[in-house]
Amino acid sequence: MSAVAPRERRILWVIAIPMALLALSAVYPVFFALNAALKSRKEFVLNRFGLASSPTFDNFVQAWTRSRLSDYFVNSVTVTVGAVLLLIIVASLAGYALAVLRFRGSKLVFTIILVSLMIPVQVVLVPFYRTMIALDLVNSRIGLILAYTAFFLPFSVYLMTAFYARLPRELYEAAQIDGASLLQVWWHIMLPMGKPALITLGILNTLYCWNDVLISLLVLQDNRTLMVGIAALRGEYTTNVPLLAAGIVLAAAPIVIIYVVFQRQIVSGIAVGAVKG
Amino acid sequence: MRHAMKHLRAGTILAAALVGTAGFAYAEDVTLTVWDWKSGDPTTAPYFDKVKADFEAAHPGVTVKYVMQPHDQYYTLLGTAISAGQGPDVVLLHGGSQAKERTGALVKLDDAVADIKSRVAGWPEFTGADGSVYAVPISIQGFAVYFNKDLWTKAGLDPAKVPANWAELKADVEALKKAGITPFALGNKEGFGAEFWFSALAANGWTAEQQAAWAKGDLKWSSPEVKAILQAWVDANKDGWFAEGANSTAKFMDEYESFERGENANTIGLISDVAHWKEFDGFLGGDKVGVYVMPPVEGGNGTLKLPLSGGIGYGVTKFSKNPDLAIALAKSFAATPAMQVFFESAGAIPSDTAVDTSKVDSPSAKEILGWLKDGVPLAHANMSTAELEEWHRQSQLLFTGETTVDKAAARLDEVQASSKKK
Amino acid sequence: MTATPTSKDASDARSGQRKRRVGANPERLALFFVLPALALVTIFRIVPLIWGLGYSFTDYNGIAEPNFIGLANYAELARDPAFLDSLVNMLILIATLPIWIALPLVLAILIHQGVPGGKLFRAVYFFPAVLSSVIVGAIFNVLLRYDGSFNAMLKALGFSAVDWLGNSSTALFSLIAVQLWATFGMSLLIFLAGLSTVPSDMLEAAKLDGAKLLQTWWYIVIPSLKPIIEFAAVVTTIGMLTSMFGLIYVLTAGGPGTSTTLPEFLIWLEQGKMNRPGYASAISMVLFLMMAGLAAIQIRIMSKNANLS
Repeated sequence: MSAVAPRERRILWVIAIPMALLALSAVYPVFFALNAALKSRKEFVLNRFGLASSPTFDNFVQAWTRSRLSDYFVNSVTVTVGAVLLLIIVASLAGYALAVLRFRGSKLVFTIILVSLMIPVQVVLVPFYRTMIALDLVNSRIGLILAYTAFFLPFSVYLMTAFYARLPRELYEAAQIDGASLLQVWWHIMLPMGKPALITLGILNTLYCWNDVLISLLVLQDNRTLMVGIAALRGEYTTNVPLLAAGIVLAAAPIVIIYVVFQRQIVSGIAVGAVKG
Repeated sequence: MRHAMKHLRAGTILAAALVGTAGFAYAEDVTLTVWDWKSGDPTTAPYFDKVKADFEAAHPGVTVKYVMQPHDQYYTLLGTAISAGQGPDVVLLHGGSQAKERTGALVKLDDAVADIKSRVAGWPEFTGADGSVYAVPISIQGFAVYFNKDLWTKAGLDPAKVPANWAELKADVEALKKAGITPFALGNKEGFGAEFWFSALAANGWTAEQQAAWAKGDLKWSSPEVKAILQAWVDANKDGWFAEGANSTAKFMDEYESFERGENANTIGLISDVAHWKEFDGFLGGDKVGVYVMPPVEGGNGTLKLPLSGGIGYGVTKFSKNPDLAIALAKSFAATPAMQVFFESAGAIPSDTAVDTSKVDSPSAKEILGWLKDGVPLAHANMSTAELEEWHRQSQLLFTGETTVDKAAARLDEVQASSKKK
Repeated sequence: MTATPTSKDASDARSGQRKRRVGANPERLALFFVLPALALVTIFRIVPLIWGLGYSFTDYNGIAEPNFIGLANYAELARDPAFLDSLVNMLILIATLPIWIALPLVLAILIHQGVPGGKLFRAVYFFPAVLSSVIVGAIFNVLLRYDGSFNAMLKALGFSAVDWLGNSSTALFSLIAVQLWATFGMSLLIFLAGLSTVPSDMLEAAKLDGAKLLQTWWYIVIPSLKPIIEFAAVVTTIGMLTSMFGLIYVLTAGGPGTSTTLPEFLIWLEQGKMNRPGYASAISMVLFLMMAGLAAIQIRIMSKNANLS
């Protein structure tokens, strides 16, 4: 981070005020959800914004047990961790090959991946489901991991390709000249140097997998993931907002924690250090 | 089929006699998967638990598995399952167009339900174009107007004297307005407000012949009896009947919640599987909730009848691997002991006429139960999905002033004609 | 294109050297590296897409066997007022793209430059994206409704109340604003990752030359972020067109009339409620083509930049 002149520092202080307001607005929904989760349905209907008058944890208990979110939680963790790891490996390998190595036909491959980026889930629902059936992947967690990887991969490959293409070539060419194998270069150089982008991908993909409803609904029909369980809490007529809020707070907590822990490393400037060294 | 049923019934009786004898009737363990959008709802849970417990006790080795799907994706999911020919054994469906447009994927139930046909009501909404029955109804739906007695009294109205015709309703609305009270709660974000309005006004405004013509698609939107309802919708809005911002208010549950907070005096509610008498009683107090049948714009001098139809029901998919068991399960959703629980725990108006409703003490529930014997068709249940969707849109544009009654009727005529062709 | 082998440039000599040193056919190895990605994408996305294209020429209703009806679905689309309205809405939505990019970009640069409280903002801006659209929708429903807090504020300031979500002229913009607010944290994160590749000695050098804050932004930071900006533009465009369903469903249900109906919402409606997968496939194909077209334009700009650098 660069040093800034005193006058500019003052400007930054002034700018911080609207930014702080925006931050407040971003925190508010979290507060709203927490507060709503502590109310009974009746209290929520009668008083949506006020503080919970007699806080109750019933909604959390109900969501966790009766609505079986505890079971679903395990599924979500397994599937998300599996898919994110697979995504990171596959995307960084592909990004390395497309941005750095380059080969005959790499333009075509890149185009195919870009095209698939434009395919909305809704567009392929029925054929996608039939493909899953044909491969006997319905109701299998491996199936969902593969499906997530496939759906979020184009975005990830794209980001990794763009990121690696911006890195100064000297960073990895030296190693290649030193006779390291491509796989070694990938493992020892490209993976560590890709860290900011990979962490970003990790966070975004965790979020996508964790929050996905539609793909999971189709693939895991018997044993659900967390967000599907929560989506099902919305009845046709009676959306029990406090119960729903309790579910959402439970589901969002791990993501928030992961984000807060890892976001420090996003700007860790590993690439910059490498250049200087 | 009949043979299978006989076999099954014999099995059921034996099984019931021999509960606890391991490894009887079904050598292999069978799981029946049921899709719905309700089973996890705390108010209806006792009913679903009862059906499951009773069925599993009667069929050893069989497990009933409820999968509650998110309501917004229910038909999308069902569609993918149907097109892939793989999925649940038993599915919950809305009566009317949603059930009728999917009969191709369901098992014909005529023979199987012959024995319960007279005890259970609501079959027409689950009968296909071929005249066969495709699902077992579990609830009756209909529209009644609920009102807040305190607010009526405040406006100088007598809660004991409900409006018998349009002129009286108008007078009541004027009195409420004068007292500074919003006459009607209205949520039309999804167009449901307009849907309810349409059926409530058509109920006593149309003759039996007109209702029949409507169901066949022969009564056009531009005909005077239909346009009168559209005009009343526009006029009522202009005259300040409704709470402001109807187009951005969800009927479920924003509209009803504002009624529960006592912010407005009337609301067109349901008597369906979501029993608003029970819900409203819980907020306003049973003695503070009144109910009446919406009078029509014209006529309505005789007694007003409640618009009624089959609500939701269970069908059996063609791709079920255990169709006989699945049919038995669909039927057991309408078994009297379970229906009794449905009524008592959720306050649902069950399709089963044998349910004992005498113990209910809510005044509005009593009144509604009295009307059930003699209902009239629910007009919106007889529209195609495409028409209903277009009416949702046009009703909103009528409020924003972007279209006129004539233009809306003309557009709806087009949709009606094209959906009839299909 | 950044990632394509267009350049027979200065590194040719070196890469010749590389090939010899690395041994074992590196080109085949590179192909092997992209194979997992290629296979997954082809099986789960490209094949279903082609399958869906096939459905779009049929009257498929999900139950009976589909019949080939040629271009009839597309002909019906051209006359379907709901679809045409949804296209107009989509164009309006796309026209707001610069805001979707500029807002998180400026915020990311500010955080990167060390605005006071930046670390906290970085953590907090992401929160709305973590919460489901149900919660976001529930809050904005109450804030934006006719008797909601926002109107109360306007009235206090002497303006008249507006039915933000119930009025055809404001509903779409309200929806867009809420979605932007709920998702800008994602793009912010991408920009922050990109900023970490901007060499800080370049900034230092500019500083020594006496460049002003805005000048360093304009001449150094933004140009070096160009590929990331374009990447974010593509991803944001896709997000705008394919992941607004949740919010539409909760906030406006596509109305009033069709004023907030986007193609994505219409696909959902036709596929599920209307039970017309064939027709829904046709809408899907149009949506896909439009997205591909848009992205192609964005990528073309991008490859131009890549060649420059």
